[in-house]
Amino acid sequence: MSYYSISAILTSAQKVPCTFDLPIPNRGFLDDNPGGDIAAHTPLPLPLYLAELLAVQQLDNRPLLTLDLPSSLQPRVLNALKADAKSVDLRGQEVYFFEGAARVLELLEEEEVGDGLCEAFKKRAAEIADHARNARGGTSSGEGGEFLRGLDEWERGLFRAAHDSSKAVRMWMGEVKGAK
Amino acid sequence: MALTLPPGLTPPEVAFLCEMELVTVIPRQRLEGLQLLGGPTVPLIPPHRTPLPLWLALLLKRQNRANIFPPPWLSPSSLDAILQLETSSPEFSDTPPLPRSTTPVSPPFLPSATADAPPDALPYHWLELSTLLLEAASDDIPSADHVRRLLRDLREVRMAKLRAGVEVLEGGREVKMNGVGAMEVSEGRAFIGGVVDGLRKLGAGREISRREREGEEGGLGTGGEGDNEDDMEY
Repeated sequence: MSYYSISAILTSAQKVPCTFDLPIPNRGFLDDNPGGDIAAHTPLPLPLYLAELLAVQQLDNRPLLTLDLPSSLQPRVLNALKADAKSVDLRGQEVYFFEGAARVLELLEEEEVGDGLCEAFKKRAAEIADHARNARGGTSSGEGGEFLRGLDEWERGLFRAAHDSSKAVRMWMGEVKGAK
Repeated sequence: MALTLPPGLTPPEVAFLCEMELVTVIPRQRLEGLQLLGGPTVPLIPPHRTPLPLWLALLLKRQNRANIFPPPWLSPSSLDAILQLETSSPEFSDTPPLPRSTTPVSPPFLPSATADAPPDALPYHWLELSTLLLEAASDDIPSADHVRRLLRDLREVRMAKLRAGVEVLEGGREVKMNGVGAMEVSEGRAFIGGVVDGLRKLGAGREISRREREGEEGGLGTGGEGDNEDDMEY
């Protein structure tokens, strides 16, 4: 995760549901209550960059806040991915779905979620490769348009990589033919 | 900004490297040996078959000074056999066996495209070499259209295998990629690298907890192994 990576910066702006375990004075502005305090056990969506740091902080050996799985990683989405990985619109869930998931999974020990995501990622990657080799034009055309519109940013990167390299080979073959 | 070229070799670069491969030519005119940086070439005396680097062979062919003798694997019968093998097995077909002698060990110095190459195996540069030969010397290749069609099928089958390999990737399991050619590596590198990278990032948390567990259970025994895995990530 590079300091200059735009996608890492945008990912860290994703909101994650958190619950403060302790009352926090004077931070009411996070909860639409400027000037007030945050009561203990208030559920609050916080951006990832903030939640990441606060989740590992401890005060008197008690964690400051508990993280929860974001809405994009709820069982509803995971079950849909398990049932048919190719039909889920991940972009609708979160533009940086997988990158955000990887960041959250570093903090939470959710082996099952991680396994499910890896499995879905592989299945979708194979589908992406098929589309990338056959696609003509942009992501909107053809019958795979629905699937391709639902790709998150990582997957778009994969699509672009696969498409560009097969295009480079085709271009080279065209050049060989042209040179004759 | 970063370099705009993708990592690895681009197709023209792969083809450039392929032009170092030796092919067999049947000269039509005499040519003294040339003193080249890569060593002198064999003098050409008309009816004798002579091994020459592909780039020189293509040049002489364009000038009608020589005919290229196609490598034995570039014939319909052997391509058909290889295609059968590829479609019936999930693995890639074997590469040509290495010669017994010890010195030439890597592709440009192996006689994998000359007249005495093994007919039943695809060499490392099969795709580039056959494309170049079919374009520049299609009249030297018997039933060139059939060969062209078979090559296209082979390429499709092998790319599908590379793609299917992605689905079985997992921490401990591996995909056997022996026999993948240079152009196929160039074509698949960005995608496969991206998938492996993504899986690594998604599995990073689990990997750490697994290693911690192993460290607790195994103590010193697994410590060394864990260190090695650490090194691999960079």
